[in-house]
Amino acid sequence: MAGIRLENINKKFGKTEVLHQVNLEIGDGEFVVLVGPSGCGKSTLLRLVAGLEDITAGNIFIGDALMNRIEPQHRNIAMVFQNYALYPHKNVRENIIFGLKRAHAPKDVIESRLSKVVNILGLEDFLARKPAQLSGGQRQRVAMGRALVRDAKVFLFDEPLSNLDAKLRNQMRSEIRRIHREYQTTSVYVTHDQVEAMTLGERVVVIRDGYIEQQGTPMEIYLHPDNIFVATFIGAPSMNILDARLFDGYVELEGCKLVMENGTPGQHRELPKTGLPVKLGIRPDFFIDRRHAGDGEALAVIHNARIDLIEPLGFDKELDVQIGSQLMKVRLDLRTQATEGDTIDLCVDMRRTHLFDIDTGQRLQ
Amino acid sequence: MLGKRTWVENGLLAAAIFVVVAFCLFPFVQILSTSLKHQFDWGNPSLIPVKLNWNAYGELLGIRSAEQVDVPDSVKRLLENPSISESQRRKILDRYQTTSDVFPFLRYFLNTFMLSASAAAVSLCLSVFGAYALSRLRFTGQTVIQRSILFVYMVGGVLLMVPLYQMSVKIGLAKSVGGSLVSLLLIYIIQTLPVSLYMLGNYFRTIPYALEEAAAMDGCSRVEAVFVIIIPLSVPMLMTVFVYCFIIAWNEFLFASVFLKQFHQWHTLPLALQTLFMSKNAIWDRIMAASMLTMIPVVVCFLFAMRNLTGGLAEGGVKE
Amino acid sequence: MDLSIAQRESRLGWRFIAPSVGVIGLLIIYPILYNIYLSFFDVKLTGDKLFIGLANYQRLLSDAAFYGAAITTVLYLVGTVVGSTIIGLMVALLMNMTFPFRNLVRTLILLPYFAPVISVVFGWQFIFDPVNGIYNHLVVDVLKISSSRHSLIGNPNSALGVVILFDIWKHFPLSYMLIISKLQSINKDQYEAAAMDGCGPIGRFVHVTLPELYFVLGTLMLLRMIWNLNKFEDVFLLAPNVETLPIFTYYAAFTGIIDQGFAASISVVQFGVLALLIYFYVKKVLKW
Repeated sequence: MAGIRLENINKKFGKTEVLHQVNLEIGDGEFVVLVGPSGCGKSTLLRLVAGLEDITAGNIFIGDALMNRIEPQHRNIAMVFQNYALYPHKNVRENIIFGLKRAHAPKDVIESRLSKVVNILGLEDFLARKPAQLSGGQRQRVAMGRALVRDAKVFLFDEPLSNLDAKLRNQMRSEIRRIHREYQTTSVYVTHDQVEAMTLGERVVVIRDGYIEQQGTPMEIYLHPDNIFVATFIGAPSMNILDARLFDGYVELEGCKLVMENGTPGQHRELPKTGLPVKLGIRPDFFIDRRHAGDGEALAVIHNARIDLIEPLGFDKELDVQIGSQLMKVRLDLRTQATEGDTIDLCVDMRRTHLFDIDTGQRLQ
Repeated sequence: MLGKRTWVENGLLAAAIFVVVAFCLFPFVQILSTSLKHQFDWGNPSLIPVKLNWNAYGELLGIRSAEQVDVPDSVKRLLENPSISESQRRKILDRYQTTSDVFPFLRYFLNTFMLSASAAAVSLCLSVFGAYALSRLRFTGQTVIQRSILFVYMVGGVLLMVPLYQMSVKIGLAKSVGGSLVSLLLIYIIQTLPVSLYMLGNYFRTIPYALEEAAAMDGCSRVEAVFVIIIPLSVPMLMTVFVYCFIIAWNEFLFASVFLKQFHQWHTLPLALQTLFMSKNAIWDRIMAASMLTMIPVVVCFLFAMRNLTGGLAEGGVKE
Repeated sequence: MDLSIAQRESRLGWRFIAPSVGVIGLLIIYPILYNIYLSFFDVKLTGDKLFIGLANYQRLLSDAAFYGAAITTVLYLVGTVVGSTIIGLMVALLMNMTFPFRNLVRTLILLPYFAPVISVVFGWQFIFDPVNGIYNHLVVDVLKISSSRHSLIGNPNSALGVVILFDIWKHFPLSYMLIISKLQSINKDQYEAAAMDGCGPIGRFVHVTLPELYFVLGTLMLLRMIWNLNKFEDVFLLAPNVETLPIFTYYAAFTGIIDQGFAASISVVQFGVLALLIYFYVKKVLKW
């Protein structure tokens, strides 16, 4: 096992630069998720680590060894591909042990590793089958098995669950977590699905347009997004980004004065606080129906929000509400009795909100 | 398609299909029928032989000796005389069996088979790597090479007969049997190489890159991946291309006639059949039987190749 | 190793393609150029050469037999290209309907294309044989169109017709295969829409089928022309007296008064025409 270090990575395809000066350090045994919208360069980054693409500039280290010009077969990496890439002419058993055989592992080692992996993944009954005879989920397991069976320094996952249906995806997600706990191998996992990123990653790296926007633990990223992109990309439903004005001690949103308590982001910043236009970010989950707000809490209140639409989701209700000319999503629990067309007073803890620069989208600290 | 057909339309359709099938098959039926007819029956327009005649096949395949039937009755009576010894009998018979008359079908068959199979094999070996390079690797000059191959694919052998012959005369190959056979082999290789490059290249493009990348992760170099992944996955297509090349060489007449005309022992089937046809106009049964025997392996090969063409092995391992 | 992936790929690419390029360069490209070179010489079968400049071309342009061969070639090309395409189209339309044993029929009609030329030409010879053939039996004895038996293949003029018919028979299955695969990709809705608009079967063919087939038909005709310009066996084996350009060249190069330089010059002219057709094909069909 080994850590990975990426130094000033640049990647161009022809004239288009897809990765710009990427620096990233992944610790030994860490599980890092690269997440971002499609085309952001996350898969390219993974393929650079794997050695499947040339880096244009910069350095890649695995452990302490410089990997820039090392061929993929000599990097001792295992990878799970989006489309599984199982060898169609080999059966499950041959698919899994292929890498070990290439490495001339002794027979008993092959057998013991195989049986361990097969056991973990529950593939006992399928060893003699060809990939074409397997279901999507089973193929996915075989692809996992092929990676696990080898004593690779690094596991790379390239959107491995994107071809599965929602139920299988959840199941495999927990299985990957379990496997990582057992094997403790350094893993880099690429996905466009922020739920996967949040649930799997020990560290999440958000990438957009070839730049790392933010990295941190899932909760850091969820609670303290550095900019509007990260704020809206992580978390579902997406964070509301509203036009507001910043005054000394409060934010004005469509005529409502939202008083900032101690600890509200942006409160102490040296800014001209005389009506500076800002973007106010509030997650739908952090609203509270005023009628159910506790007394002790210091909450700001948004008055007379008009309810356009209510979507009951069981325990939660998702509301589209209008304040002034702006629309936002609000998630309240089932105690809320309001109906469409009503107005409602919403409370929000200002310490859980974010202020962003209206031009750069960066968070105001 | 749209609405039901009336019985008139059905009748017309049936008639049209009958005409098409008859048009396609009649020559084959004619060949088969004539190959089984005795000489007196040849002029009879009926396709069913009055009396089956297996002699032509027997003779071509070496099962029975050639002119036995033509021994005159008087001699036959003489042969039945028990007083003449076996060796005398053979001597008499030999007088009626001029060995030059025998058409050594099996020999020609083997000549053609060896030449075609070697040409197809060499061409296949060259084209596996060439097609891999063209379809999967990026290198400088690739486009030029690709276009040149497509171009020469359409330049027929006819245009090359003079220069190729002159080249082989110049380096002294055309003088000897061996040299002529080598020339011919080389010519068959180049006649099939562009086609195999083209066909295999197109096939390789359908194999997902991820399979090779997975192999790289499993410790294969690019070259090893060709042998371990690409070739095993392409077996049906490789066989198809082999058969295709084999048939091109099997059918070739022009260069065989140029290079092998004077070496009778080494004639290929097309050349031998044409020689047989030109020299002995009267023996239709033998020509037709030889035609049938030349055709059968090809038709079998093609039916086999056709079936394999449709079986896509690459599906299943990768989800789209 | 200090090579990048791109460099390694380039190297491997050249190593893989080199043998093929070598063989093709040495045995196709070089001969094409050598052929042009030879066309300026008086070449003996033994390989002796004498430079004679454009004399071969002068002779060619004043040779009535060359013009005869050129005309024969044009007739042959027109006949076979049009014939195989039309028959292929008709058979494809027919096979696109549903009827019993359709798969069997579809396989059977491919046989002429698959069978080796050498093993079917003599069958065709037999059909037109003046003594035994079914053709003369039909024409003379049954239909009584002619009073005496003729050797259709013996006479170069009628032999051209037989050669064209043979070639159509042999090659229409390929046209059929390509056309029917296109036909099967045409959306049925289009026919129903056309029927709604009041088109009969012929109208539907003209307004729906034909426009869809336009490209594949053009490709087929062009390719057939390119291929048939190079055809030797199919013509020579059936009727050696039909002198299309390849056969004319063959006779000049290897029979009678052998003159390979002259033959080379014919090939050069033919190559010019071919190159033009290929250029057209590449531009129109492959759209480089």
